[in-house]
Formats: sequence, structure tokens, C-alpha cells
Amino acid sequence: MTDLATPPQETVAPPTAVRGGSAGSAWLKWLARRLGLAILTLWLCSVLVFFATAALGDPVRAILGKDFAASPERAAALAAQLKLDQPVIVRYFDWLGSLLTGNLGTSIANGLPVSELVGDRIINSAVLVLASAIVMIPVAFGLAMISANYRGKRTDGVIQVVMITLAGLPEFVVGILLVALFSTTVFHVLPAVTIAGGGAPPWSNPASMILPVLTLVIVVTPYVSRIVRSSLLEVLDSDYVELARLKGVPERIVMRKHALLNAIVPGIQVIALQLAWLAGGVLFVEYVFSYPGIGASLVDSVRNSDFPMVQVLAMVIAAVYVGINLVADVLSILFTPRARTAISS
Amino acid sequence: MAAGVAGLTGLAGCGTVPPKPDQSAPQLRGGSYSHGSTGGGLKDTLEPYFPVTNPDIARCLQLYEPLLRWNAEYKIEPSVAESVMPNRDNTQWLVRLRDGVEFHHGKTLTPADVMFSLAKVTDPKKPGSGGTELAKFLDLKNSKIVNQNTIVLQLSAPYAVLDQLLAEYTVGILPTDFDVSHPVGTGPFAYRRFVPGQLSEFDRFANYWDGPAFLDELIIYDFADDAAKVNALLAGQVQSIDNLPSYVVNTIDQQGASPLISDTGAWVPFTMRVDVAPFSDVRVRQALRLIVDRQQMIDQALNGFGILGNDLYSPFDPVFASDLPQRVQDIDQAKSLLAQAGQSDLDVELVTSTAVGAGAVESANLFVEQARQAGVAVQLTKADANVFYGDRYLSWNFAQDFWNTRNYVPQVATSSVKGATYNETHFDDPQFTALIDQAKREPDETKRNQLLHDAQKIEYDTGGFIIWGFKRQLDAYSNLVQGLQPHRYLPCSNFGFKRASFVTPPT
Repeated sequence: MTDLATPPQETVAPPTAVRGGSAGSAWLKWLARRLGLAILTLWLCSVLVFFATAALGDPVRAILGKDFAASPERAAALAAQLKLDQPVIVRYFDWLGSLLTGNLGTSIANGLPVSELVGDRIINSAVLVLASAIVMIPVAFGLAMISANYRGKRTDGVIQVVMITLAGLPEFVVGILLVALFSTTVFHVLPAVTIAGGGAPPWSNPASMILPVLTLVIVVTPYVSRIVRSSLLEVLDSDYVELARLKGVPERIVMRKHALLNAIVPGIQVIALQLAWLAGGVLFVEYVFSYPGIGASLVDSVRNSDFPMVQVLAMVIAAVYVGINLVADVLSILFTPRARTAISS
Repeated sequence: MAAGVAGLTGLAGCGTVPPKPDQSAPQLRGGSYSHGSTGGGLKDTLEPYFPVTNPDIARCLQLYEPLLRWNAEYKIEPSVAESVMPNRDNTQWLVRLRDGVEFHHGKTLTPADVMFSLAKVTDPKKPGSGGTELAKFLDLKNSKIVNQNTIVLQLSAPYAVLDQLLAEYTVGILPTDFDVSHPVGTGPFAYRRFVPGQLSEFDRFANYWDGPAFLDELIIYDFADDAAKVNALLAGQVQSIDNLPSYVVNTIDQQGASPLISDTGAWVPFTMRVDVAPFSDVRVRQALRLIVDRQQMIDQALNGFGILGNDLYSPFDPVFASDLPQRVQDIDQAKSLLAQAGQSDLDVELVTSTAVGAGAVESANLFVEQARQAGVAVQLTKADANVFYGDRYLSWNFAQDFWNTRNYVPQVATSSVKGATYNETHFDDPQFTALIDQAKREPDETKRNQLLHDAQKIEYDTGGFIIWGFKRQLDAYSNLVQGLQPHRYLPCSNFGFKRASFVTPPT
């Protein structure tokens, strides 16, 4: 999605010249167009992912490394498994076809089906990201509201200094500091890594989820909170808020009803950006906490030149990006009356 | 998970760090034990003959057992075989199996299982890593099962140290109905569950022939990250870890864990190709050996956790030529040798890589410094792992590599004769090869030792390795457990969790 960097209002530019038809059908058309774009984006991703991984150089040589010369049988078997005798275009459509029908292929590293290897890990990563989002969103908005409320005062200053400091810390530093504080050096109250025996998912021991979630929350909150704060301030300075104040509306209500709702749209966009980043950037956190997610698998698969795994994981991450942005765009429209009416008028 | 929680409450309950365990205290039964193993990934496997990653090796040691095994002193001792004895000319070996050894699925060990396993590990189509050398002379067709616990192994050529090959963990004995999806062996722990790149779980094998384990269950976790591994140990989520980073040895000591430090015969040599200039001149090779300040390399590249090397490998082998004078840095002598060789302005490229392992890049950097004192310019090239071990691996002119503990004859076979799998130095000395061949056939131990000593003298005088030291293995265990002892072979007491137990009764 190349339109991430542009201001939200422009990304949701309403379709022009929607004449005739009811508001509902206009909505459907808009949604269909957005979906179409999302699918087009994903298709482009699939082309890039496939050609970047499978079609450049000789994959068999990359996979076997120093064994390439030593074991021609293995090389031949691999070439057969990767269907290297067929033209690249045929291989691409084969791959795309099986991907669409849910056949994710077989891992080269250990011969197990990719779906079996990544299924649990995708869910684990998704839970980690979602749990972080659920904690992060209210915290970020709350801090932004307090800051905006005390603009220029000491409370605001302290919050901003802390936010900027935290925003400057890389996620693995935050993770290591939290572990030292709560698990190993100062207190011994929380598990340091997210490991669970018996095939139980990580959240079966909720305590072991606390530090990874906290790390992500600390890493992401400053960005969201600062954007929301500045949109809040912009709104609070606007004429209609001034008017509301002059009418005698209490500051509490001004903040909640007039300012917050208008600051939500940029908030949604920055949250979407951060969540999409988390889908791939969760990697460091998964490393530090030995969290059984997709991050470690992706690194490992790249190291093993395990193309089927890399392709599936790259597509999953791409799909998350596209999906989250699509949802964010829809929500932005719903929260922007002008855009909403432009579509359905 | 049970262990993690138990360990945590144990730590959280008291607040202060637990004292060092009393290793002589009587050991208690029970408990779920977790070990954090370094590395591992989607290549993880339970294949007994093709362990790839470090956790794979840890798993092999729990499940499968070879006929013989290495003890903590790196001496051979009986395992599922009571004895393995050669005839007079080392062409036939008599294997006596122990009575009443049971596999995890209840079957009793028979000679047929041994024959099946040896055939599998030496399968010419797919020889296991422990079977490549064996396959060269083991003649299974003419080997015979004599009775219900005796086998005669026939060799196609004399081999005086067959027992050393049969003691490797990569030659474990499997039952004839072996199926890797439900792997079965005779080891102290039985397979329960395996998730590649994540963990493997084992249950105590109650009928283990050598006294069952104290622990009820064992979980081996993969750790991609060193910090996560150490944190898991300090937080009580795992009871031991292998390959402790040397910079935390002192800090973990104050946080409720103990380092486990073992001498090993593992080495990270510089490899000079003896067949290309300038290293084809023996004076150049000897000069570079004299340039090295070995103690400085141990102190700085291994953080002090090393033993001095003398350009010879296999320090634990009884035949190790420890009488040859210890080589020390001698810049004047090095300069004079280089001048004689007409190489006073020597300028060479040294290829290193982080993929070689701990101490490699560090020692290469030190070598650059030390060589400068003798007027030798060394250009250091740091190659990526897939480049270093790529197409040009084994043909770098001047590089590094890593080797684990091995005895002399098997090491020579893999590194120092023509046709050896990893002959990085391209060493091919006819006199040396003749001595080794003669020694493999020689039944008399004194004469054989003399031959092998002479062979080592040749390597000491003309070889292509610069062996500056041997690594000490660093592992660590929680003070809540006892029983792990230093071991000269594999990490973490040879992954000997069979001997580990909890200090306080598990709740």
C-alpha cells in the first residue's frame, strides 16, 4: 500500500460522480473498488515474492550449499520437488493456484507441510499483536487526552519527555530492560521467555505473555499517542470548539464529544500503520522472548533457503498489511462525515 | 510449562538467590526438567544418523545409544555392548551385547538390531554422518551373528580403532522395526513429542538398563537468541542451558545459577593450503606458526576459556604427542624463516566468518595484529556464512575452520589425508599417510603409538594447521538442580540429563 504515507483524508478520497442508485449501492461500489485494489495489491505482492525467491539464480544450489557438488541425487530430487524443469511462468501459476486452493506446499528444510509448520505460529503472532493492540489503544488515547488537556503544563511536559525517550529505544532494548527488571535481576515475578510444554499455546500461561505484550505496547504507544495528541490540539484550537466553549459547553464534554471524535480518524490511520508494522516487526520481540511466532520461522527459513516457507510467510505478512489498511480506510470513512456523505450522495 | 511454573514459584517465593547445590547430597526422584538448547530451527530432526542442529544432538543422546560410549574423561566405556574386542590383526571384532537391554517400546536388544543399525548407518546410498568412515572397511556381508548376544564384525581392511567409531552418538543402535515418526532407542528418555524449531519432550524410561533417570520428564527447548536463553535460566524457566556466552559467566554466578566449565578438544585452527604459494614453502608455514601469541588468543578470543595448543589436535588421545616442545611466539625466528624463503614482504589474505563460531573472527583479528610485528601484511576478509561454507569452502588458501573433540586416527581420516572429507589444508604427505596406514594395521599398541607419534612429528614440523588452543565448553545450570558434571565430549555433561535431579522435592 503506497498510500500509507499520505494524510488520511486523501487516502479515502471519495469516488467522483456517483450518480443515481441508492446510498447503499454507492457504498457497495466503493467497497468493491477498494477490495479490488486490495486484491490487485496482493497479486502484485505474489508476483514479487515468487520471482524474488524462486526464480532468481539457482535455488537448488542455494539450498544445498556445499553439498551441491557432493550429492547430485539430492540436487535432482530437489529440482523435481521445485519443478525446475518447467518454465518460470508455469511454475508461478502452479504456485498461485495451489496457494489459492489452500495448498501451501512442503517445507524444504524438513519435508513437513508448510501449513502444519506455520498454522500455530501465525495464530500465536496474531494473538500477540492483537493483545498488544487491545492494551495499547486505550492507553495511547488516554495519554493523548491527558496531554492535550494539560497542554504546555508540567503533566504534558513529563508525558512528552517520557514518550520521546521510549520512542527512541529499540524494541529489543525495551525487552531486555523489562526482563532484567521483572524476571532476572531486580524482581523475580514474571517469566522471562514465553515457552510452554505440552503443545499448549503461549497464552495458556498468561503470565508469560505479559512482558512481550508490554514491550510492544511501550514501543508502539508513543507514536500513536503523539499523533492523537497533535490532532486533538488542532481540533481544540479550531473555531467550532471555540464556539462550543463560548456556548458554555463544559471542557469535559468539549474534549469527549467535539475533539476526540474528530481526532479518531488520524488515530485509526496511525494505529493501522503500527499494527501492520507489528505483523513483521514483531520479529525482534519474538526473538528476545523466544516467542513461538512467525518471526523466528521467517528468519530461519530465509537462512535455510526454504522457499516455500518464505513465500507463504511473506504472503501472510503482505495480506495482514493490506487487510489492516483496508479496515482502517473503511473505519476512517465511517468516522468522517464529509467523506461518508460524499460517497452516498 | 509445569517446570517453568514450579521453578518460578521456587524463585519468587524466597526472593534471595538459592545457594550452590551440594553435589554430594543424595539425589531425589521426580520433577519435570527443562533444558534450553542453543540454535535449532525448522531443520530440526529426530533422525538418529543425521543430526543437523545442536538440539538434534541433545535429542540423540537421550533417545539412542551406541555400542560403546565416551565417558567424562573422553575414554571409551561399554554401553549396550559389554565389550568390543579385536582379533590379532584388527580385521575381526567380537561384539558382546549386554543382557536384558530393552528398547522404549518393550523389545529386547538382539544382534539383529545391531546388524540392522550398522547396515542403515553405512548405507552406501545415504550414509549417516557417523557411517562414512565405517563404510570404508566394514564388511557386513561377511559379518556374522554368532549367538543371541555375540556378533563378529568382519573388516575388509585392518582398523585398529574401530571401537572409537562405534562410540560415536551418531552410530546409535535402533530396533529392526525403527520408524522415525515414533523414534525408539535404548536411551534413558523415551520420545513423547517433537515440534521442529521449538521443543521436544521426553518421558523417563523406567526400564533403562543403566539405572533409570531421576527426572520424570525432560523438555528440550530451542533458543535462537543467547539473551533469551540466559534469561530463561535466571528466571527459573529452564534448569540448564548449553553454550553459555563467556561474558555472562561471572554475572550468572550471583543470580542463582552456576557455570559448568569443561575442558574439550575442540579447536578453531587457521588453515594454510600446503599446495599453493606462498604456503607451499614449509618455512612460510612454520614462520606463521611462530608469529602467533597463543596465550593472547586464548585470553582475548576465548575470554580466557581455553587451553594452549601446539599445532597438534586430539589432546585427549593417549597417543597425543605431549612431549613435543610447546611452540611460543618467536618473531625473530619467524622473520629469519621468511627471509630464507624470500618472503620478507609477505602479504596474504585471511578469510574468516562468524559462521566458524565463537573465537574465530576474534582470533583472526589478533593474528592480523601479531603478524604485523613480523612485517607480514594480512588482509582480513570476513565472508558471509553461505559464502564461507559455499563453493570455495575447502579451497580457501588461508582461512579458518572449527573441529570438535576427536581422537587422532579418526581426525586424520577426516582432515589430514588425501581424500579426507574436510582436508582444508590439502595436506598429502606420503610418509605421513604411510605411517597412518601402518598404524591402523598394527596390532601391537606400543608400536602403534610410536607410529602415530612419528606421524604427529611430521604435522608438527610441516603441517598446514595453526592450532593455537582448545576451547573450554561453557554451559550453565540452575542452583535448584544437581548432578551435571564437566564432560570432555559434548556440551552440558554430554547432555547427561539422566544424572540430573532437583535439589528440593518437586511440588
